[in-house]
Amino acid sequence: MVNSSSPVVNMYPLANYTFGTKEPKMEKDTSVADRLARMKVNYMKEGMRTSVEAILLVQEHNHPHILLLQIGNTFCKLPGGRLKPGENEIEGLKRKLCSKLAVNSPSFPPNWQVGECVAVWWRPNFETVMYPYCPPHITKPKECKKLFIVHLSEREYFAVPRNLKLLAVPLFELYDNVQRYGPVISTIPQQLSRFQFNMVSS
Amino acid sequence: MGLEMRVAAEEVEAAPAAAPSAAGEPVGVEIYPLSRYYFGAREAAGGDGGGGRESATGADRELRLKANFAAHGLRTSVHGVLLVELFDHPHVLLLQVRNSSFLLPGGRLRPGEQDVRGLKRKLSSKLSIVGDQDDEVEVDEWQIGERIGMWWRSEFDAVPFPYLLPNARAPKECIKLFLIKLPVSRQFVVPRNMKLLAVPLSQIHNNAQVYGPIIAGIPNLLSKFSFNFIND
Repeated sequence: MVNSSSPVVNMYPLANYTFGTKEPKMEKDTSVADRLARMKVNYMKEGMRTSVEAILLVQEHNHPHILLLQIGNTFCKLPGGRLKPGENEIEGLKRKLCSKLAVNSPSFPPNWQVGECVAVWWRPNFETVMYPYCPPHITKPKECKKLFIVHLSEREYFAVPRNLKLLAVPLFELYDNVQRYGPVISTIPQQLSRFQFNMVSS
Repeated sequence: MGLEMRVAAEEVEAAPAAAPSAAGEPVGVEIYPLSRYYFGAREAAGGDGGGGRESATGADRELRLKANFAAHGLRTSVHGVLLVELFDHPHVLLLQVRNSSFLLPGGRLRPGEQDVRGLKRKLSSKLSIVGDQDDEVEVDEWQIGERIGMWWRSEFDAVPFPYLLPNARAPKECIKLFLIKLPVSRQFVVPRNMKLLAVPLSQIHNNAQVYGPIIAGIPNLLSKFSFNFIND
């Protein structure tokens, strides 16, 4: 079986997208310790947590940029979040994207085009460390996080919660920058390297 | 202006314009136990892929690369990620030269050669008894899977990056990694100046110091696959 065709990702200029604001969406936890404690409680009730996150790509100066949500002054995350028990991954991701980024108005129906999964991360314990494989001897991982490419159309309207900032960060800034962006986001450039990028100019 | 710029795509098999591919279902890959595979040795092959490169000095190599670039342009090399299972954990097969540098099996394409064809040729050259650059080699011996990553070098000895900067001068080398689907059993025959090792993902992960950025990045490229360990 020979399969070396590369999926194509179209990227449109950042200027094609309009960003408005909407009501704030506060984080449920105020500290890492709180977040891990809440994760433990949920694990007891529902088992392993599955979370889904979206990689949204735009281009600036013909280089791919990823859209990140910034909380406060430093912490950046991909749009996404935890699935409800039994929820389908794609439906859950669309739900999270609507919650974080969609304009809540009937004249802007959300039309998220979820593409393929590009990475899966595993959390073996109630700690912050995650791995791109389920480590040997771990039979009960606490979380599984999946990253999907979401294909944007040529123009979109986004509404960002007022307490968050939406940044477009170039791949070269993310690559190898674990200190600033963490292991999951800083390795996205490698996971995207197999794609053929089609930079569309306006 | 309606310019459409394509980041350099060298392979003949260009994909049609973006339709989002099927999402959600993990891609399953079968992996067989290390014990199913047999490892032997043979005399080191001559020629550009094996013995020739080992004996060249740094300066010779630089001259040769510059001459090749002037004649043929971008150097493309293709490498295979071959996986086996041990202790319920995927292991990558790596070649080790002279107890120091680790390499993925593969090598440079000939001018005009297609990725998949060249990769099969190189895999046979490094890992099979045949070991020469015959075009008559049974080219269907290897099952080449998905291309999982690409790296670019702006200079011959520069650190590779997983993207091409748009305003950079013409890149000197493009490195492509492919997942290889191994059969349930196989014999690997390796030149005597090399060792073939099975290294767990947990050891190469984040370990660019020992393995270099390309090999250390392999667990990140493989994370989306769902591995089925087949042992019966």
